[in-house]
Parts: sequence; structure tokens; C-alpha cells
Amino acid sequence: MADSQRRVHNRLAVLRAERGLSRKQLADKLGINYQTIGYIERGDYNPSLELALTIAELFRLPIEAIFSLKPMTPLSEEIFREPPTELR
Amino acid sequence: MSTTTTSRIDYLPRSRRRRLVAVALAGYPVAVAALVALKHGDLNRWLVLAVFLLLLLPTLAALAVGYRYARGRIGGRRVRLDERDLSLRQQAYALSHQVLVVILIAATAITEIFLTSGNTLRLDAVNFWPVAMWVIVYLPALPALMLAWIEADRPADG
Repeated sequence: MADSQRRVHNRLAVLRAERGLSRKQLADKLGINYQTIGYIERGDYNPSLELALTIAELFRLPIEAIFSLKPMTPLSEEIFREPPTELR
Repeated sequence: MSTTTTSRIDYLPRSRRRRLVAVALAGYPVAVAALVALKHGDLNRWLVLAVFLLLLLPTLAALAVGYRYARGRIGGRRVRLDERDLSLRQQAYALSHQVLVVILIAATAITEIFLTSGNTLRLDAVNFWPVAMWVIVYLPALPALMLAWIEADRPADG
């Protein structure tokens, strides 16, 4: 990844582990090299919009649940986060 | 090349790859410079040739590792390339062009300074072969070497 490029954070490793998929299995489903998955997980490569959308489709999740420009919080924290007081 | 050696090359850390690229790029000019310097001395011509070949050997080894590392990702005929490979190949070609531009400008400037200082340059087969060899060896190898230079360390298998 070029140094000037903004890092895209992702939850790919967590989602892959949750579904018990190896990098190779996920890569085969996406039609890419398995090492590309490793580079994406490590933040060394930002996937194209097409690949990011395909990944989202595969995991049946909105794209923003997998990729973000801000560091991602643990999924459990997001699920069980208390709503803001004004909404209670 | 055995599978072990191949995978060892695939997983070479970037710092080591960069050292190999530096050796590959600098080795040949150093070997030619040594040959030119020693040729005019009193040394036995076979000894001069041995020194030249000894200096050339690491260059050839580094070039071979560079080619092996890129393995089809520059030519892209045998290996199926995904979007990251294609993006990396474009970056490698762009960097090769930049390196080539720097080398050509430097060579032209040095020649110009040499000629404007009252020297003459005789262009014959003996003087031209190092240039011809450089072009033949390095022009095709540059993109593979640049790929080895830029690619981040491979993630561990998992």
C-alpha cells in the first residue's frame, strides 16, 4: 500500500474466524489470492470498492460493519453499547 | 529449485529483499569498474577475470532471487493475478520507469561532464559491451526487482 494512502480498518479477521473460514477458503470464494486476504486483514492493502462490496455481500453485512476509516471497536461492544441517555 | 527454497524466497522480509535489490543493481557496475581498473594494472588477466566473476556472482544470484520472487507476477502469463497483484505490478513498472530515468539522466550528465572537460570518448565494441550488457540484463529485470523492493512482508499463513 502506498504510504500516502489512507488506511482502511476492517474486521475481516474476526468475521473469518467467526465463520471458521481459512484465508484460502475465503479467497477461493472471492476469487483472489489467499495472501491478499492477509494483506487486507493487516491493513497493508485497501481492497477495491468492488472487492469490498463482494466481501460485504458474502458475509451478509453492511459494508460499514466490515470496513471503516476509523479504528474499529470490538463487535460485542457495538452490539451491547448502551443507547445515548436522551434516547432512553 | 526446491519448494523449501521457493517458499523461503517468497517469505523473505522486505529489508532483506531490498538489500538483494541493492546488490543486484550495484553489483554489475562495481564489477565492470573493477575490471576496468584492474585491466590496466600488472595483474594476470585470468586473475582479473576471476575477480570480475567473483564480483558478478552475487549480482547474478540477487537477480535470480528477484526474478524468482516476482515469479510470473510481472509477465503475468502463468499466474492468475488478482487486483492486488495487478496494482503492485503497476507500481513496480512506475518505479522502474523512475529508476531508469534517474540512471539515464545520471549517465548522460556524467558523460557530458567527461566530454566537456576536454576528454574524448571512443565508442567501439570493447567500450560498448558493458552498456549493452547492462541494457540486456537490467531492463527486463527492473520491474521484478522493483516488485521485490516495494511489496510489504507476506502475512503468515492462517
